[in-house]
Parts: sequence; structure tokens; C-alpha cells
Amino acid sequence: MKVLFVMERRVDAGSIHAVANHIRAGDEAGHTMALYGRPDPRFPGVRFAVDATAFDHVVFVVESSLSWMSALRIPAILERVPRSRRAVLDVDGMYNPLICVDSYDRNHAAEEERATWLAHYAMLADRVFQPTLGSHQPGVFPVPFYGYDPASTLAPEASPPKCFDVMHVGHNWWRGRELNRLLPALERIRDELDGVCFLGSWWDRPPAGANELGLEAAFATDSDSLTRLRIEVRPPVPFTDVIREMSVGRVNLMTQRPLFRQLRILTSKYFEIFCADTIPLVLLAPDHAEAVYGNAGPELSLDYGVEEKLLDALASPRKYREIVEEVRRHLIEHHSYRRRVEELVSALASSLEVTRSP
Amino acid sequence: LRFLIVSQLDPYARAVRTITKYVEKAAALGHEVAVYGEKVSEGPQVPYSLDVDRFDFALFVIYQAADFPNLPYLARLLDGMPKERRVIVDCLGRYNETIRVDHDFNHLEKLDGHQGWEWVEGFQAVSDVVLQPTLNPQRDDVHSFLFHAFDLEAVARPYASAADAARAWSAKGAKPFGLVYVGNNWQRWDQIAALLQALAPVRNQLGPTCLTGWDWERRPDWAIELGLAGVDVDPDLLARLGVETRSAVPYNEVVDLAGQGSFCPIIHRPLFRHLGLVTTRTFETFCSDALPLLLLPTEQVEALYGSAALALVPGDDPAGFVEDALRRPEPYWDAVLGTRAHLAKHHSYERRFDNLAAILGTAALAPSAPAAR
Repeated sequence: MKVLFVMERRVDAGSIHAVANHIRAGDEAGHTMALYGRPDPRFPGVRFAVDATAFDHVVFVVESSLSWMSALRIPAILERVPRSRRAVLDVDGMYNPLICVDSYDRNHAAEEERATWLAHYAMLADRVFQPTLGSHQPGVFPVPFYGYDPASTLAPEASPPKCFDVMHVGHNWWRGRELNRLLPALERIRDELDGVCFLGSWWDRPPAGANELGLEAAFATDSDSLTRLRIEVRPPVPFTDVIREMSVGRVNLMTQRPLFRQLRILTSKYFEIFCADTIPLVLLAPDHAEAVYGNAGPELSLDYGVEEKLLDALASPRKYREIVEEVRRHLIEHHSYRRRVEELVSALASSLEVTRSP
Repeated sequence: LRFLIVSQLDPYARAVRTITKYVEKAAALGHEVAVYGEKVSEGPQVPYSLDVDRFDFALFVIYQAADFPNLPYLARLLDGMPKERRVIVDCLGRYNETIRVDHDFNHLEKLDGHQGWEWVEGFQAVSDVVLQPTLNPQRDDVHSFLFHAFDLEAVARPYASAADAARAWSAKGAKPFGLVYVGNNWQRWDQIAALLQALAPVRNQLGPTCLTGWDWERRPDWAIELGLAGVDVDPDLLARLGVETRSAVPYNEVVDLAGQGSFCPIIHRPLFRHLGLVTTRTFETFCSDALPLLLLPTEQVEALYGSAALALVPGDDPAGFVEDALRRPEPYWDAVLGTRAHLAKHHSYERRFDNLAAILGTAALAPSAPAAR
């Protein structure tokens, strides 16, 4: 099968790493996958194509912005690819009814905004996929999409020297509530830690225009605490460097915006963190961690006793390495990109069958 | 002609003045023009319509990607209007190879997410007819159509003679400012800075200067974040020269505000100079009660404004030009009146409708084919 992904291209954010992995794993499985666009050296390993007619299916990977779906690129695709061969991968849960988690994180600010999104989706395709292990949202087909690439796993001997005890790799996008849990715990044990680093965008300040767009809560950060806790803030890195950068931390923390956690939406980070040479600790409930990572998953959950878990991981690296290895075996079996590609191909093929049936 | 204009109307920027003029003039000339979209309560009061079938063609007035309607509305338009009846007015020279002039550009991915080829192929997907407001398009498949125009009826103070004009203009207390520039700080700073410095020796005779528009006070955060140099400004220089900055005014206040200065420069950003593109202000400034300073290439001045306007080109000596105009304004006003007459004859909205009909007659209104989407 030939699949063309169309998405907002960002070298250090979003789903680009998953797309690159689909292209590689697709090649291995005999499927040709590409990203819409012209070849671009900022995206090594990514096959680009602009002729949508050369593909069996087009998948629009939609994150939290519509602006990239401009009239300059979408009409030509819609004109050339029949609706039955188009699908939307709704990676940020924008298709769901209006949800606001804890009066904080939300998929839409208002019903009018959601109506605009649905109108766009209705233009693009009949079929909507979401990156979950099982969706209860009517009209949505679960396609996990994000996966684990064992070949990208960094061996300890190939890993860069450790610079920090604790790292957090990710952008400050709806992370304020997660920090409210993490920072007090880090503060209590800060003197016992040898360096803490947050790598990503908007930890030092929000992007220009955030307040005007009503997104101040999404980018809110506690810079006083970051300073007081001597947390080093580093800028984001391209997707090709994420695993290596994670590996300079002995422990990596994975947070997820509350909306995604509630909808059980997967992201690249769920799996990249297990490719890095580090001990991943995830801010997920134990049952959630088990659902994704298998039986060993709850051992890495930070749901209770953040500081105890952190200190334990730093003090007992061998024990945690074994847990990580067990999770990796689970990921190879259940979440490899080879499997993700087959799931996507199967979903696209079945959507074609549904469309064809009377 | 019956056509729909497709664009995002911003009362403070781009082609809003020109578009409202097309609507206004259409009725008097036996045409019908509406803006595509839902009626909005704020902004320019123009007729809006979604009734695509009622119109002969759609005129997309494009500066930025957001000038296209969002997808559901775009689909309705593309479904209802065959491709050969869709026309793009490419106001920014997007339909060219990527061009860099000084800090200026026609494509910049980090600003809007689009690479150069997408502009070209995107235009080709929407329409077969691309017009550019320049006398000299660079591509063979582009028609020259200046789009913006001069409205003699909009002249703030029509004078019977240059002597009358000079007398009124020179009257004590007639003008609160010596120089007013109305326009946003987008790819203009280098030319504005050079002009202000050149006029510094005659500041006292000239009177105060006012810059009106977005981002003259300081370089905006988003420009710093993106590393864009085209929105530079030097607040220290402005303070030293006593320049007043004001926020932007809506399109229907521009002519009056420009007329509060004795002089009003006409500046084209570097990209526009390179491509010979004209703007609303190219013509609208001649409606104000100010002496225009034509800071444009001489050959473009003559081609657009006629030979009388050459007297309004300060060349390398803006200070000498201003001193002389203040001392003996009549010849300069004679040039203004002569230029207005030229513009009224060659660059009126009536002429633009005729130009458009001629272009569409040969290029666009071929027998209808099924919708191309």
C-alpha cells in the first residue's frame, strides 16, 4: 500500500518522528509511505512526495492547529484523491465533544470552535482515526500510530555521558498541572539530585501572541520555581536528536497534558523514552502504564510518591534497568512500528471496504 | 461585470480601501461586486454573499494564505465556480520564484508555513488566471493588472489651481505636522530611517513628524522570536528626532490623517520596488491634502504617475526638496494637480473595471466547464 501523510511539518514537535518511523518500517514491510512536501534536509530519513495521485491513501495528521490546512495545499489534494481514499488522524482529540479537564486543559475553547474543526474534518474525509489503544468515541477508529523502534534503542556504551540526574524532554504545552505535582517533589529532594534539566520550548517564556489567543494557561510556567530549583532549561532539539538528548539524563520524566491522559491518547514520547539510555518514569496512573507498557509498566508510574520513586531509581539503576528491559520486550511485541504500519494499512484497507459496501 | 471578491478584509491593512472602492464604484458603473463570506457586524460595511451562482467570476485578492477562506467555505466556492472563472490578484508577488531583497521576501516558511513551490502550485490549483499589480510581471503566465486605483472624488481638498492649493497649504497653522507617514512598519524601516535622517537638517522648518501604523514604537516580540529584521525600528533615533508614533488607523481615516502633514512620503517596500508592485497607498496618497514625496524609482514614477510627477521625486536631496517646496510651493502643487489629472485619466476605478473586463474576456470567460473540484 502507498500512503501519503499530510501534516504541519515541525522538526522539533508533533508527530514527525512517528511519520519518519512509518516510512522506514513501511519500507521494510513493502509499503511505500511518504510525507507531503518537497525534499528537505531538515528532515533526514523522511521521504517526501507532492503527487498525491501516486498514493493509494492520504492521511491528514491533524494536531492542534488548522492554519496549516491552507488553501494553497489542500484543494489540490482533495481534487486529486477521492474521498474514499482519505482519512484524518486526529492526534489531539479535536474530534471529541468539548472536554475541559479539571477546569484547565481542553480540546476546544467553545462549541463554535469545535464546529469549525468538524467542518474541516467533514471536508477532508469520512473516516477519523485516533491514536489510542481503543476509542469509545463514536465514529472514531483507534489506530495507535505511535510506536517503539527497537533499532533506535541507544545502548549504554553508545550513550553520551550523563549530565543530569533528572530530565524532562517536551514542550511546555498544557503542562502546568503536571508541574504542580512534580516541582514540589523535586524541591523536597533537590539537594540530593545532581542536575535537573527541562528541554523543550516555552519553559522560560510563552510564545509571542499566546495571551492574545487566549492560551496563557496552556503556556503558563513557574519560572521562579524553575530558577529556585536550579532547573536548567534547554531549547528543543530536532526529532532526530531526541533519544540521544534524553540519554544524558539518568532518569527521564514523561508528562502528558491532562486532556490526552483522560482520552488515553498516545504520543511519540511514550515510546521514545524507552529508546533512550535512561530510566523512564511516567506520570501515568498504574493501570494506564500497564495498559501501554505491560505488567512492568506500573513499576515506572509516578502516580504516588514522586520523590521516593525518583530517589529509588537513582539509587537502584540495575533494578530499574531490568524493569525497562521487560517493558522494552513488551513494546517490541505489542508496539513496534512494524506493527503500527500493519495496523494503519489494515485500517485504511477496511475503511475502503466500508466505503465500497452498499 | 458581476464578481465576488475573495479576501480577508482587515480595516487596518492590505487592500481594504481598494476593495471597498470596487464595491462602491461598481453600482454606479453598472457592475455588481460583493465580498465572499458571511455578513459581519464589524469592519467595512460591504455586501457579502455566499451565493456563488449569482456571479460571473471570483476575484481572489491574495496577500497571505489566510486571504483564502477556510476550507468549508473554500470548497463551496470551488464547487460553485469553475476554475476558468476564478482569478487571482497576486498582490505580493507570491506567484514567482522565491525572491530576497534586503530583509524582504515573497515567501518565508518560518512565517507562514509555506515554501515557495506551494504558492506557485497552490495558485495553479485554484485558478488558471493570475494577475499582478505591476506593469512588468516577471512570469509569462501572469497578466499585468494594477488593481489599486485613484478616485478623484475622494480627493480631500480639490483645488481649482496650484496657486489656490499652495495658498491653502502654506497657511499658518494649516498643518499640525511637517511629515506624516501612514502605514504599518513592515519592511519599511530602512527607507523611513534614511528619510528621517536626511530631513534632520530641516526639522525646524519642516515641523514635527508622525509615523502612524503598527509597530513603530518598538520591534514586536513575534519578530524577535522569528528573527525577522524587516520589522526593525530604532526608538532612540525616533526620540532624538522628535518623531511621534501613533497606532494604526482604519482605512477610512487614512486620507485625512495623511493630510495633517505638509508632506507624505510614498514608499514601496524592497520586494515591491523590485517587482514594480503598486499598493493602495500608491494612489490614495494623492487624495490627501499633502505634498507626496515620491521615494520610488524615477522610471516607475513616470510610468505610473506621468511626467508631471517627476517634480515630486526628491532624489538624493530630500532636505533640499522640502526647503524649496516650503519656500515656493506652487510648482509642486502644480505637479500634484497634474498628476491627479493623469491618475484620473489612466488609473481610475472605471479604467480598472475596463482592464479587468478585457483580461477576462480573453483569458477567463471561456465557455464554462464543469467545476474543477
